[in-house]
Amino acid sequence: MPVTQKDLMIKPKDALLKGHFACAGCGSALAFRHAIGSVADKAVLVVPASCASVYQGSGKGVAFNVPTINTAFAASDAVASGISRALKKKGKDDLKVIVWGGDGSAADIGIATEIGACDRQENILHVMYSNNVYGNTGGQRSGDTMIGARTATTPKGNTTPRKMVPFIMMANNARYVATASAAFLEDFVEKFQKALSFEGFKFIQIDISCPPNWRADSAHSIEISRLGVQTGIWPLFEWDRETNTAILSRPGKKYGDKANRKPISDWTSLQGRFRGITDEELIALEKDTERQWNFLRKFM
Amino acid sequence: MVVKQETKSMTGNDAASYAALFAKPDVIAAYPITPQTTIVENLSRFVDEGKLDAEFVIVESEHSALAACMGAAWSGVRTFTATSSQGLLYMAENVFWTGYGRLPIIMPVVNRCLAPGWNIWPDFQDSMAFRDAGWIQMYTKNNQEVFDTTLQAFKITESKDIALPSMPCLDGFVISHTTGQVDLPDPEDAFEFVGPYDDPVIELDVENPWAYGSMTGPVQYSKNRRDLMVAMERAKKKIVDVHKEFEERFGRSYGNGLVEPYGDDEADLTLVTLGTIGDEAHEAIDRLKAEGHNVNALRVRTFRPFPVEDIVEFAKKNHKLVVIDRAASFGHDGPLRIEVEAVLKRHNVDTSVSGKIMGLGGEDVPYSAIIDLVKKELKE
Repeated sequence: MPVTQKDLMIKPKDALLKGHFACAGCGSALAFRHAIGSVADKAVLVVPASCASVYQGSGKGVAFNVPTINTAFAASDAVASGISRALKKKGKDDLKVIVWGGDGSAADIGIATEIGACDRQENILHVMYSNNVYGNTGGQRSGDTMIGARTATTPKGNTTPRKMVPFIMMANNARYVATASAAFLEDFVEKFQKALSFEGFKFIQIDISCPPNWRADSAHSIEISRLGVQTGIWPLFEWDRETNTAILSRPGKKYGDKANRKPISDWTSLQGRFRGITDEELIALEKDTERQWNFLRKFM
Repeated sequence: MVVKQETKSMTGNDAASYAALFAKPDVIAAYPITPQTTIVENLSRFVDEGKLDAEFVIVESEHSALAACMGAAWSGVRTFTATSSQGLLYMAENVFWTGYGRLPIIMPVVNRCLAPGWNIWPDFQDSMAFRDAGWIQMYTKNNQEVFDTTLQAFKITESKDIALPSMPCLDGFVISHTTGQVDLPDPEDAFEFVGPYDDPVIELDVENPWAYGSMTGPVQYSKNRRDLMVAMERAKKKIVDVHKEFEERFGRSYGNGLVEPYGDDEADLTLVTLGTIGDEAHEAIDRLKAEGHNVNALRVRTFRPFPVEDIVEFAKKNHKLVVIDRAASFGHDGPLRIEVEAVLKRHNVDTSVSGKIMGLGGEDVPYSAIIDLVKKELKE
């Protein structure tokens, strides 16, 4: 059943309670509230070392209102596999096992574990919320960092292209793969629900703003995410193994055509991490963006 | 009354896998590493043949093997995996996570030395590296003890008042791949001893959600670790009790379950050992006694928790302890010797302690080498 704005306003259960530790303007906490809230009575969360292990709160004041297992950085998809198998053995496989973690774990240290779970077709959903940086350690480059981004470990600007984790998961025979944006929550929740309706390994990468590490105004959090889609930086699509076809999602559809896109500088100019970006870097960033679109078009 | 048992001949790894089969784990994770591999191979066969109704997770690394067991343990089911050497090291952070998280997981470690160079033969360097990880460690002397210890481990680990993972240790190849006699009970009798895991130590619950392992301040954190220390202390009595219950049902025992003395209560020299060297020491003692030497032995069966009281009591009656270590703490000495010395000092026992590191990387330690060591020590 498609999710409407009204469904989002009336949350079946508030999955993120007051007192969480997320930064002002955190796109991840926002996405969490809507997605996890939509399945709160059935969700079992597995959280690798990530901002989510911090913003869930601490001690007796934990703000995640669903069972939450914190794991080592690279362990989450394997822990989720064990939970999913145990629930199956107990006949409780109506519960939804969801990994909720950042790009550090999903794109880098945990990617072998993730591909392992995908390869075994474990019945789990991995949501990679992506701020293209190791956020909670203070903003170091990850495999998901874009060209030109100034991070704590690339102070002169990152030079390497972004690791496209959704494509890696497609290549490894995931059941369902999608991208989403914190600026388009209805689209995200719809994909989230759809993913959970499938048996097997599902993967969603959601682009979220990170005001502290992006050195952006928290008031611009959603606007930056929206521009990420409108400039073509972040293609919104979903892919289904059964059809092996990628379909562009409604909010991002027209940006498949380069002519409809806003200039990438609209997006970079709102973020301090791109301060000082050179024309060459901008061109390289644009080229890498096009590389992703070209890859995606092979499935369209 | 002792139950009926059938004498079989099998390897140590077979013995470990039969113990797991009889305990009926719900989730098993498997990743191959020599010399552990045949344990999980056996279990995969049991599952495929329908002898064991378990979820069998064929993972892509040891890190994930233990992680999958952790996920299953948090879900409140019985879990089992096994590993060795580099594999144990590769799962390192999860080994600590399991111990400090008090997750009831049973994981036999088939002891094998660490690279470089590549060598698949036994020493205890691998499991000794995890001495402080919050696991119960029991070192076995033969195939029969592997079966018995693994079965006992389920009952100890899954007790709500203990909730500590168990690492039964067996010497690679010397036990794991060597065929020996094992008396196997009926599966029903073995399962009845272990009991069903229907009152889990921990179980995630969507009706009553809790978060596990969130940020924890120093006050709560240090309390958690102190609780672990207390649980380890409690585990000593539990190990003795479970061992006694096992003896009543199956008619076999290993000292009191913590230490196994051999020979007279009092002697001029006592050999202190771990694992199969303890078995070899029996032969050495018999021969030395036949030559008129007054010697005995104490095999430390449970290394964690460390049987302080038993070692102190034994040492008080004896004059000279000679500890054989099959591992080294580089920059100091053999780990067993270090601990025995510390315990005696703390309890003001003036029995002298010496020792030798032997058997690294599978170096053979025959009774003749032990006899040579004892004779040299007797002269000093």
